[in-house]
Amino acid sequence: MAGEAYRFRLPTFSKNIITIVGGYGSGKSEIAVNLARYLKLNQSEPVVIADLDIINPYFRSREASRELANLGIKSLIPEGENFYAELPIIIPEIKTAIERGEGKLILDIGGDETGARVLSSLSDAFTPGQYELLLVLNARRPFTSDLAGCQKMLADIEAASRLKFSGLISNSHLMDETDPDTVLQGLELANKVSRKTNLPVVFISMTTDIMDKIEPRLIDLPVLALDRSLLKPWERKKVSGKNK
Amino acid sequence: MPRILMKGNEAIAEAALRAGATNYFCYPITPQTEVAEYLAHRMPEVGGVFLQAESEIAVGNILFGAASTGKRVFTSSSSPGISLMQEAISYMAGAHLPCVIVNIMRGGPGLGGILPAQSDYFQATKGGGHGDYRLLVLAPSTIQEAVDLTMQAFYLADKYRNPVMVIGDGMIGQMMEPVEFPEKYEEPPLPPKDWACTGARGREPHIIKSLFLDPLALEKNNLLLYQKYEKMKAEEVRFELYKTKTENKILIVSYGTMARICQTAIDELETESISVGLFRPITLFPYPEKELYAEAARKNIKTVLVIEMSIGQMVEDVERVVRGIKPIKFFGRTGGVVPSPEEAKEQIKELLKKEAGTRKRKTRKG
Repeated sequence: MAGEAYRFRLPTFSKNIITIVGGYGSGKSEIAVNLARYLKLNQSEPVVIADLDIINPYFRSREASRELANLGIKSLIPEGENFYAELPIIIPEIKTAIERGEGKLILDIGGDETGARVLSSLSDAFTPGQYELLLVLNARRPFTSDLAGCQKMLADIEAASRLKFSGLISNSHLMDETDPDTVLQGLELANKVSRKTNLPVVFISMTTDIMDKIEPRLIDLPVLALDRSLLKPWERKKVSGKNK
Repeated sequence: MPRILMKGNEAIAEAALRAGATNYFCYPITPQTEVAEYLAHRMPEVGGVFLQAESEIAVGNILFGAASTGKRVFTSSSSPGISLMQEAISYMAGAHLPCVIVNIMRGGPGLGGILPAQSDYFQATKGGGHGDYRLLVLAPSTIQEAVDLTMQAFYLADKYRNPVMVIGDGMIGQMMEPVEFPEKYEEPPLPPKDWACTGARGREPHIIKSLFLDPLALEKNNLLLYQKYEKMKAEEVRFELYKTKTENKILIVSYGTMARICQTAIDELETESISVGLFRPITLFPYPEKELYAEAARKNIKTVLVIEMSIGQMVEDVERVVRGIKPIKFFGRTGGVVPSPEEAKEQIKELLKKEAGTRKRKTRKG
């Protein structure tokens, strides 16, 4: 870690495959991109990110593939014209990468159980117990704003993916209107879900400007700092250099 | 109600429900399918009707039938799907039927692509279907505005007994922003729908049609339509100004999310001490004619710059309105390519450079 001291605990991963699922708009792709960057800069194993979002046409992690390539992170994405498609295209390299389980492989999956269905066709490539399946929770989204909604999301995605959850990511946000309360209230809900389901909250994620406004003693969990990469055409990138 | 994060498509769907529109007919198409997905989930909760038809042509005709009952009905689609509905839209306009149509535009022509575009401007504002008719066209630039305008669209459709279109580029449908819904939905009172087909027991049947074989009867109907469009022009024009100041030399005209890209360009130019303003039409029909003319006519304005996600469509309305009093320049990208704030800034700087050059020459001569 270079630069200023990181005031929070850093996330660590013993498993090589990190699969990110969740509802629409929970922030999966942004987390996947930031996690790839974080792992590349903080450990020695090669990092590969696979964009398996086959239902969203815009704001997918593949939009950051060039930026990630500059950091030496490989993206497994459809090539040519199919880069833009929202069709169920699963390139064969992804299955091979899951089977090999080498380095750090981040799988970014489309939203809801509809998006998670792509995992069921790959589920036999996963070695039980050797992967992380993490649910991203955003308490400010309509269908995951309470315990019942989150439990339904967990059950639906587990059924559709034919994989078992290993943990939660608390990522409550309202885009630019996020404040520390948005994050802390979201964490409260994530903790509630965690107690009910026995799934640990593996980390909490937030943009770096919010991190600066939160007392570290309020968060007893690892924090992944987000530098947003998937921006709207009129938005500008804020580079903070945290997590580095 | 706390602010929640919603995708444009979901927010539009929820707004329609809250405006009392519980009859939705659709056929899926990117980038608006989440409207249907959301309503498939929500309609059963509110006891409404969700029906996926076999095609957009069927959707159009179902809308005609359902609207005839006087209930609030709507559909959403994207460019190629909207093209398929044009016949029914013309029929609904001819038969004075209220209906809301949401078009989340993608790049065309033909099957085109799935990325954002504004290339259905002609189709929305100049016809699309056949005959002497108009749609009232509302163009939001934020998700909150999409919510507000969708709710108003149902009121306006009933007020004028005419189809209303809410039009957004793909970005409006796909992006997420925080939104708030009013605790209680309120709208001005509307006349009773005494024209609706609700069962003719004890009264004369109501016949809703757009067929008039007698030319004088058809002309009379068209004049009635014309009166409605003139009333829309008098009462429904909406637009927004952004940083229009007396020192500005350039007036940008842009709508939808393209206007937000222009705003970023304007804000950033401000830090370089370059001042530019924006005129954003919110109603594309009725077009804010008088208002745009007044802004363009200001003495300080030397050039009007129109920026669109198309090869040049709204620019024709700007030319019509500004009527040669100021030079008009156009910049656009098409096919799903979204102009960047950099490109907008470059266009503005180029124009200012030329403008400074002209002034210098003039001074020398004088």
